Amino acid sequence: MKGFFLGLSSGAVCAAYCAPVLVPYLLGEGRSVLQNFLALLQFLLGRLLGYLSFAVFAWGIHTSLPQDIAHRNLLIGAAYVFLSGLLIFYSFFKAGRACPSAGGQEIDHRLRNSRPSLFLLSMGLATGLNFCPPFLLAVATAAEQASLLQSVLFFLTFFLGTSVFLIPAPFLGLLRGFSPLHVIGKMAAGLIGAYYLFIGATMLAGGFYR
Amino acid sequence: MKRALKIAGYTWAVACIVVVLATFVGNNYFSAKLASSTGITISPWFSGGEIVGSIDHATYKTVIHRPVFDGLIGERKEGFIQIEWQPVTALPLVIEDGIDFTGDGKEDFAFRLDTAAGRGTLTPRNPSVIAIQTLVKVNQGWVARIQLRKVS
Amino acid sequence: MMKEHPPHAKTIEVRQSPGKSFLFALPMMLLTLMMMSGGKIPADPQRLFVFTVTYLFFNLLFFLMIHTGKTDRYRATAFITYAILFIVSFISHMFEARGSMSLSQEKILLCEVPFCHLVIPMTLIPAAFTKTIIFPGTITGGYASIASMFTIWIGASLSLGRGWCSWGCFFGGLDDAFSRILKKPVFRNINPRWTYLPWAVLLAVVLSAAAFLSPTYCTWLCPFKTVTEFEAVTSFKILVQTILFASLFIALVIVLPLLTKRRTQCSLFCPFGAMQGLTNRINAFDVRIDPDRCINCKRCVTACPTLSVTEESVRAGCPLISCMKCGTCMDVCPSGAVAFHVRGTPVAGNRNIKRMLFLYAAFLFLAIFSGGTIQDGLSRIIRLITTGSMI
Repeated sequence: MKGFFLGLSSGAVCAAYCAPVLVPYLLGEGRSVLQNFLALLQFLLGRLLGYLSFAVFAWGIHTSLPQDIAHRNLLIGAAYVFLSGLLIFYSFFKAGRACPSAGGQEIDHRLRNSRPSLFLLSMGLATGLNFCPPFLLAVATAAEQASLLQSVLFFLTFFLGTSVFLIPAPFLGLLRGFSPLHVIGKMAAGLIGAYYLFIGATMLAGGFYR
Repeated sequence: MKRALKIAGYTWAVACIVVVLATFVGNNYFSAKLASSTGITISPWFSGGEIVGSIDHATYKTVIHRPVFDGLIGERKEGFIQIEWQPVTALPLVIEDGIDFTGDGKEDFAFRLDTAAGRGTLTPRNPSVIAIQTLVKVNQGWVARIQLRKVS
Repeated sequence: MMKEHPPHAKTIEVRQSPGKSFLFALPMMLLTLMMMSGGKIPADPQRLFVFTVTYLFFNLLFFLMIHTGKTDRYRATAFITYAILFIVSFISHMFEARGSMSLSQEKILLCEVPFCHLVIPMTLIPAAFTKTIIFPGTITGGYASIASMFTIWIGASLSLGRGWCSWGCFFGGLDDAFSRILKKPVFRNINPRWTYLPWAVLLAVVLSAAAFLSPTYCTWLCPFKTVTEFEAVTSFKILVQTILFASLFIALVIVLPLLTKRRTQCSLFCPFGAMQGLTNRINAFDVRIDPDRCINCKRCVTACPTLSVTEESVRAGCPLISCMKCGTCMDVCPSGAVAFHVRGTPVAGNRNIKRMLFLYAAFLFLAIFSGGTIQDGLSRIIRLITTGSMI
C-alpha cells in the first residue's frame, strides 16, 4: 500500500510534469473520448513496463546494500541527497522544460512515422524509464524492500497510484493553458527537495536525524 | 433572472454578517458540536495513543500505552510506545520495570529510570525495541517514549 | 492610454456626512458593545478603562471609514494594532504559564500547545483519513483549542473568504506594518512568478504533512514562531529549524515588506492564505473594477500590497485570486472604479450598500475577534508601566 500512496501523493507532480507529453498527442489526433482512453491504456502499459524493469534494478540495489545500520544510512542518505539535488535542479534550472522525458521524444518521433502502433507504448516506456523526481523517491523506498517480489509489488502499486492522475488525461486538454500548474509543481519540487537534502545530509553526517 | 440573482446576492451578503455574529456567540456550542459529530481526536503521534494497561506498584503505577505505528492508511515501519510513571510525588529514586507490550507473556524490554538524575536505561529483549526517544518529567510524573521498528 | 476623469466622478463618492455616518455606525456601536462586553460592563476600574479605550478605538475607526469613504487607512490601523497587541498578550501568557517563549517537550507530550489557523491546511488530509488531528493541542477547552479555531475558520471563510488575511489574521498586521514604513519602495519589480510560491508551499506542506503525519509548516517554516513560541533548541535538527524560521521572519516579515512596500509573507509565502483563495469562492463579497469608470491610471496596480492587481486583471475587471480585500486599491483609485461587490449583483450601482454590507461583516469580525486580545495587550502594557512587569 505504501507504493500506492506514494504514487498517489506524488502523482499530481507526475501529472504536472508528464501530462503535457500525452495531452497534446491525444488532442492532436482529434479522436473520440473512447479512442483516447484506448490510447491512454497503451501509454500506461508502456509506463508499467518501464516501472517493472526499475523494480528489478531497485532490488539489485537492495541486495548490494550492507546490512549494518550505519552503512545503510550512509547509502540511503546519499540517495536522498542525489534525489534532492535532482528535485532542486528540476525546480530551478529546468524551468523551461515541460517534462523530464522530453529527451526521449526524438526517438518517439521516429517511431511515430515508421511504427505508429508502437508510438504510444514507447512514449509510456520513456516516461516510465525516466528519473523524474517522484520516481526517484520510489526507487529510494523500493531499495529498502527485502525481496524481488516485494520490490516488483511496490513498483506495481506505485504505478497504480500515479496512474490515477493520468486517467483523466483525455480531459486534461482543458488545463493545458493553465501554465501556473507547472510553475507551482516545480516550486513545490524545490521545497520538498530542500527537505530531503536536510534528511540526506544529516543521515550522511552520522545518522543523527530523528 | 437578474433580479433573482440580485436578491440572492444581497441575502447572502446579509447572511455573512449573521455568520460573523454566530461564529463568536456560538463558538463554544459549535466547537463542541464539531468535535462530537466528527469524533476527531489528537493523533496518537502526539497524544501517545490509548492506554492499554498499567502495573500497580505499592505507591505508584506504570501506565502503558498502545504501540503507535499509525500511518495515513495502514501502518508504518517505525513507531514508538509511551510509558508513564505517576504520581510524581510517590516515585522512588530508582524505578525498574519490565514491559510486555505484545501480550505474549514475555518481557519486551526492561526500563530503569533514575528519577533523581533524570536518566533512563533501556534493555531491549525484543528486536523491535530500538532506543529511548524521549524521557521527560511532566507535572504528573515521568513520560518515556521508546522507539520501535517492525521486524518483518 | 489614460482616459479623462468621467464627468460623473462626483456621483460615485462614498463619503458620508457626519450625521449620516453616525447613523450608519450606530448598529456597529451596539453590536460591538454587546459582543465585546458579553453583556457585562467591567466593574474593575482598570478593566473598564481598557474596555472603553478599545471600544472607542474601534467605533471611531468605523465612523471614520464611513465618513471619509476610505477603507484601508482605518482598517490597517486596527489590523496593525491587533497584531502588535496580540504578540504582547501572547508572549505575556507564555511567560506566565511557562516562564519563557520556548516550547518544552513536556507541553508537547501533554498536548498543551495553542493551535493557530496556519496549521489547518495540513490537518485536513490526515483528519479525513485517520480522524485525528496532527497537532499537540486540545480538541476543546483550554487556550486556543483546535475545534474553536476550526469554527472561527469556517465562520471567517463563509463571511470574509480571503478577506481573513486583511481583517482577521493576527499575524498579517506585522508585514502590513513594515510595508508602510517607507514612503517609496526601494525595489519596485517583483517577478509575478513568485505569486505562485504560496501555492507551492501549500502543496509541499500538505503532501509532506500527510506523508509524515506532522505539521511540517509549523515545524520547519512558520516565521511567526519568532514572535510567539518555538521549540527549545535541544538538537541539531531544532537548531536548523530555528535558523530557518527566524531567517524567514526577518526576510519576509521585516526586510522585504520594508523594501518593496508589499505584504511579502502574506502574498508570497503563506500557505493558509493560498487556501483561503479557494474558500473565497463560498463568500458573498469580492472586489470589482468597473471598466466604464476605469481611467487606466494603474495606481491600483502600483499600490496593491499583495500583487493582486495586474494590468490584465484590470482589463478583466477583477483582481487575482490572491486579493485580500484590504481596500488599498479603492482608496487610491481617483475615479472610484474599484469597489467592494456582492456576487450576483451588477458591478455598477448601489456601491454604498455593497461597501457597507462588506464593512459590517469584515469590521465586526475584526472588532469581535481582536477585542479581547487588544484589551489584554493594553492591560499588560499598563501593568508594565505601573509595576515594571507585564505578567
